[in-house]
Amino acid sequence: MTGPEQMSEKRDCGADAAAYVLGALEHDEAEAFCAHMANCGVCRDEVSAFQDVADALALAAPPQPVPHGLKRRVMASVRAEPRGSAAAGEQKRKRRRPSIGFFSTMPASALALSAVAAVVVIAVGAVALFSGGGSSATRVYSAHVSWPGNAQLRVSGNRGELIVRGMPAPPPNKVYEVWLLKRGSKTPSATAALFSPTSSGSGSVDVPGNLNDITTVLVTPEPAGGSPAPTHAPILQAQIS
Amino acid sequence: MFRPANSNSRTDLRTLADEDLMALVQEGEARAFEVIFDRHSGPAFSLAYRMCGRRAMAEDVVQEAFMSLWRTGARYERRRGSVRNWVLGAVHNRAIDAFRRGVVRESRNVSDEGIADRLKAPEQTDVEVARREEAAHVRGVLGELPAEQRQVIELAYFGGFTHSQIAQMLELPAGTVKGRMRLGLTKMRIALGDPAGFML
Repeated sequence: MTGPEQMSEKRDCGADAAAYVLGALEHDEAEAFCAHMANCGVCRDEVSAFQDVADALALAAPPQPVPHGLKRRVMASVRAEPRGSAAAGEQKRKRRRPSIGFFSTMPASALALSAVAAVVVIAVGAVALFSGGGSSATRVYSAHVSWPGNAQLRVSGNRGELIVRGMPAPPPNKVYEVWLLKRGSKTPSATAALFSPTSSGSGSVDVPGNLNDITTVLVTPEPAGGSPAPTHAPILQAQIS
Repeated sequence: MFRPANSNSRTDLRTLADEDLMALVQEGEARAFEVIFDRHSGPAFSLAYRMCGRRAMAEDVVQEAFMSLWRTGARYERRRGSVRNWVLGAVHNRAIDAFRRGVVRESRNVSDEGIADRLKAPEQTDVEVARREEAAHVRGVLGELPAEQRQVIELAYFGGFTHSQIAQMLELPAGTVKGRMRLGLTKMRIALGDPAGFML
C-alpha cells in the first residue's frame, strides 16, 4: 500500500471533510487535512461536494434589513481607497529611489507632529504574546498608538495582520497607510495596505510582504489612494522583536 | 465581456451580470462595486447578524468583508464560484476571525424566521424573487434535519465553534460530532439536489 493510501485509511476522511468545509477543524488540523487532501482523491471529492452545501448554508440565515448608513460607510471607504491609484502608487513606489531620511519628505508641520508623537509614543518595545504552538505559533505585538485607540500586530510565520480598535476615522479625504521599516534601514517602505476603521473604530488589514526582516510596522494618515512617502508622523508603531 | 456603450451609467451597470461587474471592479470602478454591494449586502448582513447576534458587530464584519473584497477584487475568478458565494465566504471568514480573536459573542435569538415577510425587497426582480425562494428552500432543508445534526452544523457554521469545542459543550466524543456533521451535510446535499446548479 502506498503512503497516501495508508494516510487515507488511517484518517476518517469523510468526517474530516465535513468538519473542514464548516470551518470546524482546529488550525493545525485544517493544515494537516489540506496536506492530506493533496494525496487523497476521496477527500478532495468529499470537500468539493460538501463545499456546495456549505455555500448554500450561508443563505439559511434569516433575512435582516441592511442598517441605514452601512452602504454610505462602505462606499466612503471604497472611494478613499481607489484601487487603480493604489496599484499605480505601488508601481511608482517600486520605481522610486529611497529617500534619504526616515521622514525626509514630510512637510515642516508633519515634522513638528513627529516630534510630538515621539514624546507621546512612550517606551517603544512591544509586548509579544504567543498563542498556539510549534512553528505555526502566532505572535501578538501590542502597538503604540499616539492617537486614540489601540492596536495589535499578529504575526504568523512571516505574515502579519494589523488589528485596530477604538481608532478614529482618518481625516477627510485621507486613509491610513501601512509602512514597513527594514532592519538597519531608516527609511520606511510603502505598502499597498490602506485602511479605514469601521464606525466603531475597529478594523484589520493584512500587512503585505514577508516580515522576516522587518523591525517595525508603522501607520500614517495619507491622502486617499496612499502616498509613496510619508506625509505625516506615524500614529501607530508596532515593533517586532 | 459584455459592456454597454455607456458603462458609467448606474442604470446601465445594474443591467450587468455580477461577473461582468467584477471585471469593472478589477479596473477600480467603484460604481460597479456599489452595485455588487446593493445586490449582496442583504444576504451578507443577514449572515453576519446570524453569526454575531449584534447589529454593531455584524455591521463591522460586513464592512470589513466588503473592504477586503474591494482590495482583493482582482483575485476573483468566476470559474471558482459565483460572486454571491465569494461575498458570503468573505463575511463568514471575517466573522470567524473576529470570534477567534476573542471578540465577545452574545447569545442571540436565531428564531426570527418570518422577518423576511416584513422586509421590503430592495429589488423585486425575477432574480431577486428566485433568490428569496432559494434561501427559503435552504432554510427549510436545514430545518428538516434531525435536531442533533442541525445543532452541530449550526454551532460550527454560524457559531464558529470547532468540533472539539462543540464536543465539550455537548459532552460528546469528537468523533460523534464529526459524524453528525457528515450525516447532516450529506442529507442536505441530497435534499438540495445539485447545489452548484441550483445556485443562481
